[in-house]
Amino acid sequence: MSSTSQKHKEFVAEPMGEKLVNALAGIGEVLGKRLEEKGFDKAYVVLGQFLVLKKDEELFRDWLKDTCGANVKQQGDCYGCLREWCDSFL
Amino acid sequence: MAALRNKSDQEIKDLLNEYGIKHGPLVDTTRPLYEKKLKEAMAKAKVPVTKPSPDRTFYREDQEEVTYVTYQTPVRSEGPSGDGKPYMRSRPEYSERDRVDDKPYSRSRPEYSERDRVDDKPYSRSRPEYSERDRVDDKPYSRSRPEYSERDRVDDKLYSRSRPEYSSGRPYVDEPHVYNTLSSSSYSKPTPVVKSGGGVVKKENTTSSGRLIPLWIQFLVFLILAGFLYFIFTNMESAESSPFNRIQ
Repeated sequence: MSSTSQKHKEFVAEPMGEKLVNALAGIGEVLGKRLEEKGFDKAYVVLGQFLVLKKDEELFRDWLKDTCGANVKQQGDCYGCLREWCDSFL
Repeated sequence: MAALRNKSDQEIKDLLNEYGIKHGPLVDTTRPLYEKKLKEAMAKAKVPVTKPSPDRTFYREDQEEVTYVTYQTPVRSEGPSGDGKPYMRSRPEYSERDRVDDKPYSRSRPEYSERDRVDDKPYSRSRPEYSERDRVDDKPYSRSRPEYSERDRVDDKLYSRSRPEYSSGRPYVDEPHVYNTLSSSSYSKPTPVVKSGGGVVKKENTTSSGRLIPLWIQFLVFLILAGFLYFIFTNMESAESSPFNRIQ
């Protein structure tokens, strides 16, 4: 039942390159700003964090919640987006 | 152990391993997360599972409670919150289990819907419990609902001696008795003999409330009942056959 959003589809379709953190599924303007303030200004930095957390869902969700206050759905979207991207390109 | 901040990376890692928390490398960005996790784990560890089971006598259940609390994972959780709140969950369970074991025969339904008692009650479980969960182990007979609905009534009248069913000429008059005695063995004895509507046999299974009838007594009663019914059946047959002979 987890239908992926347009954002998700666009993100996982190609290498992320220099995309901003807003391009991640689940990360909108508000969350994007918070992440940028913490130093995660590009999508690949968040990817880096995702990888450092060993791609573990729970850890990543917790981290996302702590860092930018994402709710459960947003956490899930972002995690799914990154995981699928990694499956394709990593 | 309050100053997690001041610990070295290695110490944090050791602590994480100690609490069994899965973790990745300890970096600048991951450290606050792990510190937070450690804090939560330490707070949880401080609250030991000291549930003084108020007035229960089922030790097996206590053990069950303890084991899955220490796992810190909702092993058998029906609780709404999925994350590690075993303590909160255990409390309502106790209050429900309380009723469960005190009244083996008057099982009110909502309790069973919360918990199913596997071990010590081989018979009579109320309906919703089965509809929600299927317990394979101790119920060799099927769990279809109509059966339970019958059984439900059976067990209710088990100890309340009012049996209006017997006065009415229902073919299932004797079945409740059969069920009663069979309560832990198979159901599938419809006893076609019953149709003849013979015995209003009242096997008074008077058991004290709160005490289970030993199994062998039930079997004995059943055998007596079956023998009696057979006797009646045989007699009836002979009665029918005799007029036939006379006519000829």
